[in-house]
Amino acid sequence: MMNIRAGFAVGTAKGISKVLRLLGRGATTLPGRIALKIYPQILSLLSKDQKIIVLTGTNGKTTTTHMAAGILKSLGFTVITNVSGANLATGIATTMIEGIRIRTRAEKAGKKTVYVIEADEAAFSKVNGQLQPQVCVVTNLFRDQLDRYGELVHTQAFIAKGLDAVTARILLDADDSLVAALERGREDRVVFFGMDEGSMTRNTVTNPLKSGLSETTSDASYCSFCQTKYEYRARSFGHLGAFYCPGCGYSRKEPDFLVSYSTQTAAGSLSESSDDLGPADVGFPVTLAYSGESVTIALPIPGLHNFYNTAAAVAACVALGEKCGEPGLSFANCAKAIEFVQPAFGRMEKIPIGAKSLCLLLVKNPVGLERALSFVSQASDAGGMYLLLNSNDADGKDVSWIWDVDFESRSYPEKVFVSGERYGDMYLRLAYAGIDKDRMHALPMTGCQDLLDEALAKCEDGKCLYILPNYTAMLALREILVRRYHLKDFWK
Amino acid sequence: MQEKIRLCHLYPDLLNLYGDRGNILALVRRASLRGIDFEVEAVSLGEHFDPDRYDMFFLGGGQDAEQNILRNDFVSVKGDKIKEAVAKNKVFLCICGGYQMMGHYYEEHDGHRIECLGAINIWTVGKKSRFIGDTVYSCGLFPDSTTLYGFENHSGRTYLGEGVKPLAKVLTGAGNNGEDGMEGAVFKNVYCTYSHGSFLPKNPEMTDYLIKTALEVQKGGPFQLSPLTTEVEDFARNALPTCKKP
Repeated sequence: MMNIRAGFAVGTAKGISKVLRLLGRGATTLPGRIALKIYPQILSLLSKDQKIIVLTGTNGKTTTTHMAAGILKSLGFTVITNVSGANLATGIATTMIEGIRIRTRAEKAGKKTVYVIEADEAAFSKVNGQLQPQVCVVTNLFRDQLDRYGELVHTQAFIAKGLDAVTARILLDADDSLVAALERGREDRVVFFGMDEGSMTRNTVTNPLKSGLSETTSDASYCSFCQTKYEYRARSFGHLGAFYCPGCGYSRKEPDFLVSYSTQTAAGSLSESSDDLGPADVGFPVTLAYSGESVTIALPIPGLHNFYNTAAAVAACVALGEKCGEPGLSFANCAKAIEFVQPAFGRMEKIPIGAKSLCLLLVKNPVGLERALSFVSQASDAGGMYLLLNSNDADGKDVSWIWDVDFESRSYPEKVFVSGERYGDMYLRLAYAGIDKDRMHALPMTGCQDLLDEALAKCEDGKCLYILPNYTAMLALREILVRRYHLKDFWK
Repeated sequence: MQEKIRLCHLYPDLLNLYGDRGNILALVRRASLRGIDFEVEAVSLGEHFDPDRYDMFFLGGGQDAEQNILRNDFVSVKGDKIKEAVAKNKVFLCICGGYQMMGHYYEEHDGHRIECLGAINIWTVGKKSRFIGDTVYSCGLFPDSTTLYGFENHSGRTYLGEGVKPLAKVLTGAGNNGEDGMEGAVFKNVYCTYSHGSFLPKNPEMTDYLIKTALEVQKGGPFQLSPLTTEVEDFARNALPTCKKP
């Protein structure tokens, strides 16, 4: 039973969200903010006896959340999930409040409801205990905007705190030494997902690198437990790979959920000069394996990092099925269902514009930008690249991380456009990476719309303009796209 | 004969934060465009270190956890050789954490003191609040341009002792400690600053100055660099929010 104060909180929040919608503004955090003020325990109340998956990690959580929600929807569940990165306590509370209506309607229709909640790493430590999910997923730990989040070991500690507040099954990325280290002391609850060693792009067997297995920048070169330098049998990207510590023996465990693909097939479809394989095409065949069973699927969203997201999303749904006794959530069902998932807001979203298209790739931190550049440099349909760099609070004030990204070892579309409040910083980064100034056109944020028009005009028919904005730049761009190119608003 | 500079990048696998490698890209670029061969070698934890091989040394900043991993190797194992290279007027560029580690100690905000190398007479006191933001400095090292641009992101307050000069005067930002209006440190050919990442890319005069100084030390006499445009750097500087528009 809801007490009076809680009822008031929910009622007020619902009212506000209705008003905001009528005003045509996306109500993604304000209703929750007010409800939490009136009744701080609102999340415990609304999550009681519900089926819940909570996902956290620095990269890929929006995509993984979106994929898991997609799987569950196509298997007949009603899904309540937070949209467009509203992943702090306020956004999660808003989602839960708006979920009441959805849940009631689902119950009437005889459908089961699942909550798939994305939580920011710091928010995770606070809200996870209240939500009491059956399944938690930690995607990965890459350095993020350091002025906002601090160091990676602190992020890791936040996540540990959140995990210890619940009895949920824990899904961890086996290939990320920082994430996998969270298994210690929680062994009986942990299930690993990861990539097959032979499929990792930089392995000693099918794709040895001349320069060995080293990376330009790694976020975790040294052992979490004894501080000896890790060695790798194979690497996929960043610090992800089949690591082992020669000092204390800590090493990557064989994943329970394994994703693999043929590097031969991938190499055939990609440029030969690239060290950084990773299918850039939708529908690339990958194989998922779990508990002796294996299913080959067409990858719904391209990019090597999405191999991990795919494995994590399938694993999350299967784990939920096992925990809650839902036979419909079998491994085969979940794996097959992922083929129908479309990209999430700003994540590899391809939008047709006349005879051309544009593709948005949100880039918030070094590994995100690194993945996006790798993707664009391999895309056969690239008709231009447009980078936008802002430095508002939500982006992080410090843009120096663009210098940590390896721009040098890739080739880009002939035309490169640059905007955002820090367009000068990005322009200089590109110039120093060897892109001739005659190939670049850079304008301040006030000119970002003109530059978009120009970039699209210069993009050949049948080709795609790849746009790489950071967070607030993407929001601004999205508004322009809605206004000028009549795109659907993201909160609808 | 082709000129050649060899730079030692110290602990690149541990001190790799805030885009500090951009400084090396800048040195490589402006040396190579002049036909100077610029070689970079990485020397990390537990690895053999022969300072006589190098004309320049680069020490960036890292996460606290990572700086703790290397401190012993830096202070006790490589320390004497680094001090010797400083005494031989070798060129050093030290940023943020690297700057702090060259000094005597780093005192944490709870009063706990971490001993550092003591190659230069400076010390740092950590505070909880951070200085974050764009910076502009006025620097007297070179004749032409006196303005340097940077971005600071640090919680340590650094103080200079006798024999050490500041690198520049703060026009915008906090600088070394937010108190005395000074930024960075210079001792012999050791140049230290709190400015991250794109410090050298945005300040080609500083880049050129370091290249020239390294060659002069190598040759034991004056050396003139061939002129080189700063067109792309100027474009970037003019786009900075802190840049005064004419």
